[in-house]
Amino acid sequence: MPIMSAAPDHPHRILVVDDDDDIRDLVVEQLQREKYEVASASTLGDVRARLAEQPTDLIVLDLNLPDGDGLALCRELRAEGRAVQIIMVTARDSPIDRVLGLELGADDYLTKPYEPRELLARIRNLLRRRPEEASESRNKRYARLGAWRLDLLQRRLVAPDEKLVMLSSAEFRLLQRFIASPNVVLSREKLSPERKATVATDRSIDLQISRLRQKLAEGGEELILTVRNEGYVLASPVTYE
Amino acid sequence: MKLSSMFDVGAIFNSMAGRIFLLLSIGMLTAASAALILAEQARRDDFQRLRLERVVSLVSGVGRQINDSPADTMQLLADDKIIWARPAADDVAISNTDPILVRRITQSLGVASAPDAGEVPSSLCFPRRTEPLPVAAGISKDGQEITGVLPDCWIVRFTDATNVRRSLAIYLPPLILSSALNPIYLLALLVASAVLAVLIARIASNPLARLMRAAKAFSVSQDQADIEEKGPREVRAALATFNVMQNRVRSGFKDRTQLLSSISHDLQTPLTRLRLRLEQVSDETLRQKLIADLGATQELVREGLDLARSTESGEEWSVVDLDSLVASIAEDAAEFGAPVQFIDGCGKNVRVKPNALGRCINNLIDNAVRYGGDADVSCRADADRVIISVRDHGPGVSPESIERMFEPFVRGASDKTRGTGIGLTIARAQARTSGADVRLRNHAEGGLVAEIEMAI
Repeated sequence: MPIMSAAPDHPHRILVVDDDDDIRDLVVEQLQREKYEVASASTLGDVRARLAEQPTDLIVLDLNLPDGDGLALCRELRAEGRAVQIIMVTARDSPIDRVLGLELGADDYLTKPYEPRELLARIRNLLRRRPEEASESRNKRYARLGAWRLDLLQRRLVAPDEKLVMLSSAEFRLLQRFIASPNVVLSREKLSPERKATVATDRSIDLQISRLRQKLAEGGEELILTVRNEGYVLASPVTYE
Repeated sequence: MKLSSMFDVGAIFNSMAGRIFLLLSIGMLTAASAALILAEQARRDDFQRLRLERVVSLVSGVGRQINDSPADTMQLLADDKIIWARPAADDVAISNTDPILVRRITQSLGVASAPDAGEVPSSLCFPRRTEPLPVAAGISKDGQEITGVLPDCWIVRFTDATNVRRSLAIYLPPLILSSALNPIYLLALLVASAVLAVLIARIASNPLARLMRAAKAFSVSQDQADIEEKGPREVRAALATFNVMQNRVRSGFKDRTQLLSSISHDLQTPLTRLRLRLEQVSDETLRQKLIADLGATQELVREGLDLARSTESGEEWSVVDLDSLVASIAEDAAEFGAPVQFIDGCGKNVRVKPNALGRCINNLIDNAVRYGGDADVSCRADADRVIISVRDHGPGVSPESIERMFEPFVRGASDKTRGTGIGLTIARAQARTSGADVRLRNHAEGGLVAEIEMAI
């Protein structure tokens, strides 16, 4: 499968941070093939130096570095208000680290060993994101809709009585789209852009909406409304906390 | 509790508390009863001797009086003017002569009197019931006269000074059954010994029950606090020993987990390098094969890490809508094209570690799809537990190897597919961090059923 070229007007600048020389060089090579402008660093000190040299769009950050913890760096960069995007890469494959990493301000999280294509896809995805879209919900754990909260990191709902209601990936994606545009009528195609609009897709969207309504049953009956012949609307303002 | 089970002697006898209770209450009752009966016997003997003395003294008194003035005395006796004595009919036979009585009377009245004496049935002394019963036949312990009961009776024959053979009936209040064997006393004794037995059984079996609970909890999860060492010295020693064992097992377990974890962890860096280098292999077929091999290795490492992590979870306990958990996992699996169906929910909320339980369900579904071809996932509940079941329609597992399936690196005999063989081991460990357990059984209509069971 050929990898699509990034081909930006001006190349994005990416900083690859890893203390393993081989891995760092391999990733750098791969990103250079994709026409990104790539710099590399092996310690926290190097990272600081590179960031000072030139503005950077994205950091691929390994968590275990000889002179400190990537998590701490991540928190510092956020505290300084830098807009750089961060993808954390770590061998520590545990959900706790994932939550911690995202809470401390990383934009994405990847565990070693990863598919090279996966890293590319995530980088592309983050660079495409509009800055304001990213900043609104960045560092926020929960989106509140009505009496319910959506846990953006653990990808589950928290009921008014603190009970957890789990979501499938499809349901979470659906809710994410509603939350991105509250009080806007969304067509079935907008709700499910990854599939072609067919009668079958429409029906599966309807099914998912009805399941979602069931899950939001307690105190959430009026959250997702049907707009005849148009689609669905999330009838609630969304706040982040 | 059902009444029948409360009185099921078999069940009582099977428990230690029950045994102690039965042993103590029966033993104490027997010992106390035996003591009472012995005391009663001694009292009876004393009383009997006193009465014999009394008979002897009465006979000697009346006998001497007869020797002094036979006619007057006989008249007094006939008129019932002498208390405790009266004339007896000459034809009443003394069937059992009392040798002690005879000897004592002989001592008192002399050898010449040639006495014969013995106790006879009361009716022989009072042959005619029309006769008024003698007064002061006896006094009961509460001071009331005893009526309607004939006095006990002795017939004494002797030759008086005038060489006439005399026949006397001596009567004394009857021997009444002692009040010590009164059923109310016995009942009180029974109750008292039962209460004592219950207390002792409790005291004796309580530390054992605590030890049992602790051992049971430990068998489910190694993350248990030490049990409190209190009670008598022997009990404290036993509990302390248990705590030492628990700590040793835990630290051994931790070492093993640590080792597994660090090996798996350290493998990740070279594997990442390898994966990145594979991008440079130009021969496409070779590259795909190498990537597939690397994928298998990566899965081993991932499962090794899973296993290491599964036994201890730092995750918080939360109340979760169980149906949403089960359904969303099934739905996610189905989204990737696996034939997985969510069949039925149970409508329960449970307190679990949601991510650990989710990974456990996921593992069981993976297993069902891999070895059985599909997975039907459902949840059911009864009064005190919920059961999440994952059923496939594959060949199942032979009954004798079912429990072995939980051992690491054991796979079904028919297994031709790739897999590490630790999926079930991980699933069980993950379930146990949520206080649940995983069991396997063959379905009656074919296929294997994996069940996660937890109390609610």
